[in-house]
Amino acid sequence: MNDTLQRLSERFTDQLLETSEAHGDPAAVLRREALLPAIDFLRAEGYTVLEDLAAVDYLTYPLPQPGRLAVMYQLHDIERRRRVRLKVHVSPPDVHLPTISNRWNIADWLEREAWDQFGIVFDGHPNLKRILNHHEFVGHPLRKDYPIKTRQPLSENDSLVDEMALRLRTNGVLLPRHDREILAAATPFSDHGEPAPPGNVSFGARGGASAATLEAVEKLTAGGAVLSEPEFYTDLHTDLMFLNIGPSHPATHGALRTFVALDGETIVAAVGEIGYLHRGFEKTTETQCYNGVIPYTDRLNYVSAILNNFAYCKAVERLLGVETTPRCKAIRVIIGELSRIIDHLVCVGTNLVDIGALTNYWYTFNVRERVYDIFDKLTGARLTNSYGRIGGLARDFYPGCTEDILKVLVDIERSISEVETLVKQNRIFLDRVQDVCSVDARTALSYGWTGPILRASGVAYDVRKAYPYDGYDQYDWDVPVGSVGDTYDRIFVRMYEMVQSVKIIRQAIKTLPGGPVNVADKNVCLPSKDDTYNNIEGLMNHFKLIFEGVKVPPGEIYDCSEAANGELGFYVVADGSGRPYRNRCRPPSFMAFAGYPEMIEGYMIADAIATLGSINIIAGELDR
Amino acid sequence: MRSGRLGAPWSAAIPWAPWKRDGGPLTVGLETIFGNSVVTTKIDDVLNWARKNSLFPMPFGTACCAIEFMGLVSAEFDLSRFGAEVVRFSPRQSDLLMVMGTISYKQAPILRRIYDQMPEPKWVLCMGVCACSGGFYDNYCTVQGIDDIIPVDIYVAGCPPRPEGLMDAIMKLQAEKVAKMSVLRTRGPEAPAAVAPLASDGGAVTARPTHESPGP
Amino acid sequence: MSQMSSTTFALLVTIGLAVLIPGLLLWLASAVGPRRATPAKLEAYESGIQHVVGTARERFSVKFYLVAILFILFDVEAVFLFPWAVNFHELGQAGFLEMFVFIAVLLVGYVYILARGALKWD
Repeated sequence: MNDTLQRLSERFTDQLLETSEAHGDPAAVLRREALLPAIDFLRAEGYTVLEDLAAVDYLTYPLPQPGRLAVMYQLHDIERRRRVRLKVHVSPPDVHLPTISNRWNIADWLEREAWDQFGIVFDGHPNLKRILNHHEFVGHPLRKDYPIKTRQPLSENDSLVDEMALRLRTNGVLLPRHDREILAAATPFSDHGEPAPPGNVSFGARGGASAATLEAVEKLTAGGAVLSEPEFYTDLHTDLMFLNIGPSHPATHGALRTFVALDGETIVAAVGEIGYLHRGFEKTTETQCYNGVIPYTDRLNYVSAILNNFAYCKAVERLLGVETTPRCKAIRVIIGELSRIIDHLVCVGTNLVDIGALTNYWYTFNVRERVYDIFDKLTGARLTNSYGRIGGLARDFYPGCTEDILKVLVDIERSISEVETLVKQNRIFLDRVQDVCSVDARTALSYGWTGPILRASGVAYDVRKAYPYDGYDQYDWDVPVGSVGDTYDRIFVRMYEMVQSVKIIRQAIKTLPGGPVNVADKNVCLPSKDDTYNNIEGLMNHFKLIFEGVKVPPGEIYDCSEAANGELGFYVVADGSGRPYRNRCRPPSFMAFAGYPEMIEGYMIADAIATLGSINIIAGELDR
Repeated sequence: MRSGRLGAPWSAAIPWAPWKRDGGPLTVGLETIFGNSVVTTKIDDVLNWARKNSLFPMPFGTACCAIEFMGLVSAEFDLSRFGAEVVRFSPRQSDLLMVMGTISYKQAPILRRIYDQMPEPKWVLCMGVCACSGGFYDNYCTVQGIDDIIPVDIYVAGCPPRPEGLMDAIMKLQAEKVAKMSVLRTRGPEAPAAVAPLASDGGAVTARPTHESPGP
Repeated sequence: MSQMSSTTFALLVTIGLAVLIPGLLLWLASAVGPRRATPAKLEAYESGIQHVVGTARERFSVKFYLVAILFILFDVEAVFLFPWAVNFHELGQAGFLEMFVFIAVLLVGYVYILARGALKWD
């Protein structure tokens, strides 16, 4: 048995209900009381990163479970490259679990999501409110008894003053009465019939600073006050200005909202709000066949759509126990790296546009068009390709594809070097990005960051090197790592990663093996057209695979790949049918944006905009 | 004399006449010689020509379609050939609202507000199937078509539509909507909304999917 | 008109055009443009959020004002340098020396604000 699971079972003998190591993915089911001790025990063992926190509703699951709702905690030991998953069950109406937001910064938002989608209450959470659905939503949509088409319109957006008041207190910002009155007067919406979860301060009905709301705001914000009011007003202290950056804003790439408190131009407190592009990926894909989920994965990180396809296919293939063919692996590497390049081109191009360097946008976007031409010829679509399939690919390379790719690589290299030459020694650019919004490695890991932004902060973790898949370990390539974690590092890590991707693609094309791209397993991959049209077994096979889907035996897995933004994980729970029972996507942008408000505090608005571009938030992935 | 309020005893054969009306609109003075051309034309045509060739798009991009729009304004497809180059992210300075991407219920009041804050004349272009009808996201959080919230002038299907498709849509909008505006018809009280009007400004947005609305 | 020099006349024409053209455009926009007033159009734009928190009319730091004033001072100094540059030959040596005195006086002021840290933002 896995060493960690062994030690866990020795330590928590009667509270450990079950351990599993299926598909090389260690997991343990615990009783609720053992959760915090087990987490602390594992942290001491070295599992210092919280990769994911997700809930599952086992209401219609075929196998009996200790409780209807379960929360899984995926922990990761970066240094020793091992993972473990803990799961605890709760049964409504008692849906309380202790919070771990005091241990990891990212647990704050992850627990809010579990509350929002499943109704699990985390005791001790500083502000358990909805995160993906809007604040007037009633119910918990990812539960199995919530009908998927029950729509709930919104009348007015959340004013976020409660979160802002909390943030101001955390940051120790002195608030004069004038600002406290402003916050109280902008109180949100009245109660909407749902009992507020514990820990959430409920404000009164809107329409003015009543004594009760003023008192509530006073309580929240009085923490940092050191001057009395008369003393405050004798000197030239400034008032705060509250501003919404987003959700409709040119520099927020997608629908993101940051509510900031400004002292002049400097941000003293920031609150982020997401969910503006929540499209119900997780619930909708529960109604699709495994292969039918692939177009939905395209639209997660839509600037590098194929990488998401491959990440999802890899997770399901691992759950199935299917090993793809060597040619499929090599093609996935080639096309995946090409997708990564176009993602980084968008990120670098738009980031530089936000800073003011407009020319680079043309250089990066023109070469993207040439890559789109290749994807168009290969998959039929420019942007949302749906190229991966469970067990293989939609189709093989067309004749001449590798030559086209080699030609476009030359163009890509030229674009990158042009962009680099334009900005690398530009004094204005350097002043705008060096030492701006630096993030140290510890904070980055506490927010669960992965990918280029984590590497910019100095942590050399790349899924392709740590847990090699698709033959990445047979190619010779490097991982660029930054040192300071400022915006400069984040931009240049991406630029040098593109250069490395080009290197990988060249090697993969040189060593591209022949053979089929699809696994020769008729339960997984579609039969050839010849078989489908000419004999009845092929027809039936095709029919069943399309209508009923690939049948995955009951089980669960957490598997991840290195997407362009970081570690894109999929936690798939299968129930034996052709449709996923639970399909959780662990998006790297979610972790990145969770750290964004803290990152920009203390800097100016212009720095915040430059930084937002550098962390490459793709709203499709962030909100799913 | 012919029938009609202004009889036109002069025939089309005569080059100039004080006024002429032979089957088409009334032409007066020099117009009877030059017709609707560069020398003499209607004020409406001049204004509409100026408006359609200088559309200021407001890109309300939320999802994947915004990336195809970015491809459209890039050098390869180049929307600025049609005058719609200056993208203004402020509703105050733009006249073409391009909704690109899925609109969730959380985003709906924002969209409505942006539309309300745009000055007249304004047009709405709905890009991608998610904005037109919800796309393949038929679930609890996606608005099934933004025409439940704001009036739409032109729909572009596709997931995402190719940049050429979007360009075609903008050209159609120019030719059919913008070119047919009239000065006289755009003044006066607020235009009747295509959907149920709001109770008060900023009040409830009742999104009523057309295919799910109750019968008469 | 006849007593006016050509430069004055040119100046009057420029001012006239500067008033006429924008005025014409604004009048044209109001005359033939659509007119539909709604409450939403009069409210502040804040990225689509319906009810904004607070106003923008708050007390902000005096350093913004300081930067503006210093800019004005040195900009006016630059403005005074232009006519001197145009009439450089006519003003001769005396003018040259006088301008140096002028710049030196302002340089003392510049060194003072530099030493006091008025040009540091934080």
